[in-house]
Amino acid sequence: MSFSITINGQLHKTDVDGDMPLLWFLRDTLELTGTKYSCGMGICGSCTIHLDGEAVRSCITTVSEADGRKVTTIEGLSKDGSHPLQIAWLKNNVSQCGYCQPGQIMTAAEFLVQNPEPTTEEINDALQDNICRCGTYIRIRNAVADAAEQMKEA
Amino acid sequence: MSASRKDMNTFSRREFLKASGLSAGGLIIGVSLPLGVLGSMDSAGFEPNAFVHIDKNGDTTIYCGRCEMGQGISTALPAAVADELEADWSRVKVLQGDADKKYGPQATGGSRSINLMFEPMRKAGAAGKEMLIAAAAQTWKIPAEKCYAKSHAVFNRLDDRSLQYGELVIVASGLPVPEEPVLKTRDQFRYIGKPLQRHDQRDMVVGERIYGADKKLPGMKYAAIRHVPVLGGSVKSVDKTAALAMKGVVDVVEIPRFDKPFGSIGGVAVVADNTWIAEQALAKLKIEFEAGKNGSYDTVEYKKQLVRNVEAPAKSEFEKGSLDQAFEDAAVKHKATYTGGHLSHSPMEPMASLVWVQKDKCEIWASTQDPVSIQTTIGAYLDRKPEDITVHVMMAGGAFGRKFKCDYVQEAAACSKAVGAPVQMTWSREEDMRTGFYHSCSAQHIEASVDKQGKLTGWLHRAAFPPIASLFNPAVVQPSADDLDAVSKHPYGIENMRVESGMAPVHTRIGWYRSVYAIFYGFAINAFTDELAHKAGVDSLQFFRDIYANNKNPDQAEQVKRSLGVLNKAAEMAEWGKKLPANQGMGIAVHHSFESYVSMIAHVEVDGDEITVHKVDCAVDCGLVLNPDIATAQMEGAIIMGLGLAMNTEIRFKNGSVVNSNFHDYPVLSIGETPVEINVSFVGQDYRPTGLGEPGVPTTAPALANALFAATGKRYRSLPIKPA
Repeated sequence: MSFSITINGQLHKTDVDGDMPLLWFLRDTLELTGTKYSCGMGICGSCTIHLDGEAVRSCITTVSEADGRKVTTIEGLSKDGSHPLQIAWLKNNVSQCGYCQPGQIMTAAEFLVQNPEPTTEEINDALQDNICRCGTYIRIRNAVADAAEQMKEA
Repeated sequence: MSASRKDMNTFSRREFLKASGLSAGGLIIGVSLPLGVLGSMDSAGFEPNAFVHIDKNGDTTIYCGRCEMGQGISTALPAAVADELEADWSRVKVLQGDADKKYGPQATGGSRSINLMFEPMRKAGAAGKEMLIAAAAQTWKIPAEKCYAKSHAVFNRLDDRSLQYGELVIVASGLPVPEEPVLKTRDQFRYIGKPLQRHDQRDMVVGERIYGADKKLPGMKYAAIRHVPVLGGSVKSVDKTAALAMKGVVDVVEIPRFDKPFGSIGGVAVVADNTWIAEQALAKLKIEFEAGKNGSYDTVEYKKQLVRNVEAPAKSEFEKGSLDQAFEDAAVKHKATYTGGHLSHSPMEPMASLVWVQKDKCEIWASTQDPVSIQTTIGAYLDRKPEDITVHVMMAGGAFGRKFKCDYVQEAAACSKAVGAPVQMTWSREEDMRTGFYHSCSAQHIEASVDKQGKLTGWLHRAAFPPIASLFNPAVVQPSADDLDAVSKHPYGIENMRVESGMAPVHTRIGWYRSVYAIFYGFAINAFTDELAHKAGVDSLQFFRDIYANNKNPDQAEQVKRSLGVLNKAAEMAEWGKKLPANQGMGIAVHHSFESYVSMIAHVEVDGDEITVHKVDCAVDCGLVLNPDIATAQMEGAIIMGLGLAMNTEIRFKNGSVVNSNFHDYPVLSIGETPVEINVSFVGQDYRPTGLGEPGVPTTAPALANALFAATGKRYRSLPIKPA
């Protein structure tokens, strides 16, 4: 059985086991390591990617589920780090260890498409299941609000 | 874990600078090693420890020897070097140094990096600048006094000519290194004290920062492991048949316990073509474990025993004045017992490293806080010399004390040795949570007396917790006098005091967790002080102020002054005393740890079971702040970690094994539980810089507990407040 997945605009054909979580296909097979492993059961958000534009947890999404679909990872969110969220993350100096931040950004990116003018409470709700152990939450909130502001103006 | 002040002083006296001349076309300068700290040094100890490398084109590399785990040290220290060097920061590249004694002490913990390395690193920069100036003076044939350095160039005061640093490196490399370079005065700082952006922020948001779990090598294999669940237990039998039959499985490796402080607890690993296959195969192993002597460890029962041990007379380790007399003369007496659970560090990046054991060399890429202990531990394991183990220090995806211990690296080494290929082992979250070096669970009992004037007169403090020393010596069964120092040397003004150590035999591995013992000491001392203020009918802020002001010991005058400084600042920030709605309250705490001072006021609202933290105001005195933005981030993070351990998290043991498994039953703080507002102010910047990574944690839980009391009238003496 062979699978075709478009990842960051590039078509990949593979015959790995269809039950393999996308996370490990990305990290170990394609060596796209921006997507991080942390909990393995879809509760911490570190491995968040976009599947046809929808934010999903790649540790509980299989290769076969992604067959014929488009995957975007943090490496493909923008060409040059110019997504409003990436810019806002820099402006607010959000990252400490940075390990969870690709997942935070990927979650927030889909959220802002759904809700371009979020309240603080809505930002909290959207990122409630994205854990950051360094405790950068206050800056994450501010950065998402900043990005929303920027996207509105753009 | 902190080096003594004596060591630090010895260190600064002995440091001196040395250039190792031109290498790869550039000027290299460094700071010598602190002989007094490292002990067994040979002639190589005169090699520099912090490199400044300037290429012929002026591109500058500054190496950071301290480990980066998110605290920003690889920006703060190199920025201090660049400042003294008068380098243009936009032309500086920061690189992480490998394990090497030329970098000086690399074990990164105890909030010591700035404390230890600020002066030596500045001297490395200043010496470089002086040599570049001397090179320009020689070129122009004028005295050095007629030259000055600014922004990557040396200028001629006589005619405004200038030479770029890159143009000067060859001449500069042949010059002697100044032994006592002149450091800038504070008004001359260009980067120190400024909110310079971290050098790695961009890499992080595009997924390009490479952690220990991310490193790749051609031909590498991936490993997963199941550990022996009980300390001292073992693998009784393992049926590998089904696992070995799986496509993509390379080998199943049994790893016996390696009886070193940071060695593997023991387990069985699977090496495979990718992590997923390794995890699948691991699940197919049929492993029977032998529990051993800790097989009945149960934290519910154990904590009850700790409470019994502190509510009865214990071993006296410190005494001053006459406590009995103070208690007899008391107008108000009060007692209370506080408890706290084991904690897991649970960094977002679980334990991970890539190891390649070859016949004639061993190369390691690890997320670590202590590359030198990797060299010694893996050296001992492979029976090789530590210096023959090459350790590349990778960015750690959080560490908090856990990545000080290299058991995970040794396990990867065991796998690499078995299969003859580079092996990357990433622990599953479950293994990470269940195979820790945990923060001690604890019980503390305090009794105190207040006289008619409302003055605190006597303090009895009993503490029982399994100490970290048990990791190195299993015969240790209770806190030592040194472990109790934070109480017996506390800057409170108390004339009559007794500090006692209660029995706490260890049944698991205990390790340093961000702030270490200050977590439970800070909690008990501050929570009890608030209770005492309430009993004595004195406003808490005033009561805290009076206790410090009552300390007339001249040796503690600075501690008192700085404690009061942060206390008063926090009170001002929070507008302490202002009227609040009935279900809201403010709580105050102040604590001194890692040579820094922190005071916090938490403002909470309680609605039924729901706790909302509206605001935390935090005043910090860590002396000079090198980078106010990074420093603020450290405090924000410490408060969030502090709230998590105060409200939610505890590692529980039953039948010797950890019950928790993942973030659903070890619920670290989420964004929704995060305070609406955190304000951080720095005071006391005239003092030399001191620790910042840890001192923000200890005040958080007591500020919260005291605020909850103010809001509800209920005392919370057991952490976490809302056990999972």
